[in-house]
Amino acid sequence: MIPSRRSFLMGAAALSAAVVTPELAFAAAARQAVADWAPVTTDIEADIPRQTLRRVHGRVPRDLEGVLFRNGPGKFRRPGGSATHWFDGDGLMRAFRLKDGEATLEARFADTPKRRYESEIDAVVTPGFGTPGDARAHVGSPDDASSANTAVMLAGERIWALWEGGSALAMDPEDLSTVGFVTQREDLRGMPMQAHPRYDPDGTIWNIGLGENRQAIIWRLNADRSLNRAEVIELPRASYAHDFTATARHLVFVLQPWVFAGGPMPFSNRFAWRPELGTQVLVVDKDDLSSRRLYDLPTFSFFHLGDAWEDASGAIRFDVAAGRDVAFAVEGARVLVDQRGTVPGEPSQLALVTLYPDGRAEMERSGVSAEFPRGDPRRSGLRRRLTAHVTGETGGRPLPSGLAVYDWETGRSDAFEFGDDQITEEAVFVPKPGGGGEGDAWLVAPSINLAEAATELHVFDAARVADGPVCTWRAGLILPAGFHGCWAG
Amino acid sequence: MKAILAAAALLLAAAPAVAQDATADITFTFQVGHPTGQIMIALYDNEAAFDDGGAPVRRAAVPVSGDTAQVVFEDLPAGDYAAKLFHDLDGDNEMDTNPFGLPAEPYAFSNNARGNMGPARWDRAHFTVAGDAAQTLDLDR
Repeated sequence: MIPSRRSFLMGAAALSAAVVTPELAFAAAARQAVADWAPVTTDIEADIPRQTLRRVHGRVPRDLEGVLFRNGPGKFRRPGGSATHWFDGDGLMRAFRLKDGEATLEARFADTPKRRYESEIDAVVTPGFGTPGDARAHVGSPDDASSANTAVMLAGERIWALWEGGSALAMDPEDLSTVGFVTQREDLRGMPMQAHPRYDPDGTIWNIGLGENRQAIIWRLNADRSLNRAEVIELPRASYAHDFTATARHLVFVLQPWVFAGGPMPFSNRFAWRPELGTQVLVVDKDDLSSRRLYDLPTFSFFHLGDAWEDASGAIRFDVAAGRDVAFAVEGARVLVDQRGTVPGEPSQLALVTLYPDGRAEMERSGVSAEFPRGDPRRSGLRRRLTAHVTGETGGRPLPSGLAVYDWETGRSDAFEFGDDQITEEAVFVPKPGGGGEGDAWLVAPSINLAEAATELHVFDAARVADGPVCTWRAGLILPAGFHGCWAG
Repeated sequence: MKAILAAAALLLAAAPAVAQDATADITFTFQVGHPTGQIMIALYDNEAAFDDGGAPVRRAAVPVSGDTAQVVFEDLPAGDYAAKLFHDLDGDNEMDTNPFGLPAEPYAFSNNARGNMGPARWDRAHFTVAGDAAQTLDLDR
């Protein structure tokens, strides 16, 4: 009697107080119509053979030739169980190839152990960033859980699909077939490599991988992608980080107060948001990883950072798409896969962090909504003023609808807004041949045209974004939104 | 009638053979990615020992010099078994780990079973032996 009475009372109290639990919110969402932005997480059932894109606007810039590789989730749902979080769909590698004034598109799934097993049983059962998984999972190592879905980098004769909890996955840039996980050295088998490598002016590549207990592996790769050095360091805080950044001389770790607390999967469930702790920034000397400085900033959350640079006074600057909390990471990205309802969380804003040699740290907010910041690769780790990013996201509507370049010297945002018919994806900076100025570049970015039910590819002039695309192609299909890409010129 | 007699004869003839096969041989063939070192394998006959670090019924260290290697565990009583093994690439008799403490040498379990956020457990790795048995285990993945 007592338990049932107590349950009843608690249930009544919850109702009267109009407490909206996640369960209630999802139940309410299930009654809503599928959102117009649903294609963002549409399922692709099979590899997409190469197809020619139709040019629907403008002219193809002369001398713009190369390949935009992009990675992102392409399959979420299976009859026996589904990924419930945007970050957990199977990696679908896309290649937009620009040559002789023509553009083509093809896409192929990363052939991971996870996808192979889940295809066999026709159920998503593997735990992920936000997907709990179930007892049917086959996870003997982190690579067994890899969706290889987050980013892509050029690696000599291969491309590497990057995730963040395990090894890079080598793929063939010509046909996007999977070669296999990359083991840099036998004793480093299975060590994680994150999705956002940083480049020195001489081509040296830096990357990190995070473990539990505040450990981080620092990868230093030669320009030819061979291993130069791998060292494990201890961070001051076991914080969730999707990205790090670097100047020519320093590595920069932003330690948000989303800290490891343990507990059952999914992964995001193992971190606690502790805003009272503030956000810290750790600066480590590239040539001596024991030489470090720690800075304090007011609390913000983040996924993505821009390249960092150092001025003559020794001050370090970098930009960040700064959020208020982790509502999007935990719940918002689940709503995207639900394809209905309202996505919680505020859009992140572009901000500039300055770390002074005397230990002070500042954060300057632009007021511009922003994600996926990218800089000029010719200035990676060096002083720069321009940051390309997607923009236009509003609280009521998930994902961005515009593209912009922010100038940190003038405080001017050069933005183009497509409107609610389009969802824009990360743009890459493609230097124009001949010109060395920072604005002498094209921005190449796909979008999802909801009105046309088609994936599009756009080229913007980085110095005149507000003029709109100089050229747009349209595919005969619609792909779900991708995460990150790289340009092979 | 003739058929029944024939069947009875078969049974009689088979009886000694059944008695002989009260023990069985288990053959494991290993597919490896590197022709070096040795495979360290432990065979268990019960769940508690397999899952909780108890004693195996058999052990072997199998030298590797090609794409495959093999071991035969002979004269085992019928029953349930499971094996855990790793490819000791550098021949130091230990399972090397990466700096985060996870296995850095290839490992496997009988049935090619995979664990769920850890080593495979008895429920996935065990198999029933009633006569000679053979499995091919993949250490090249």
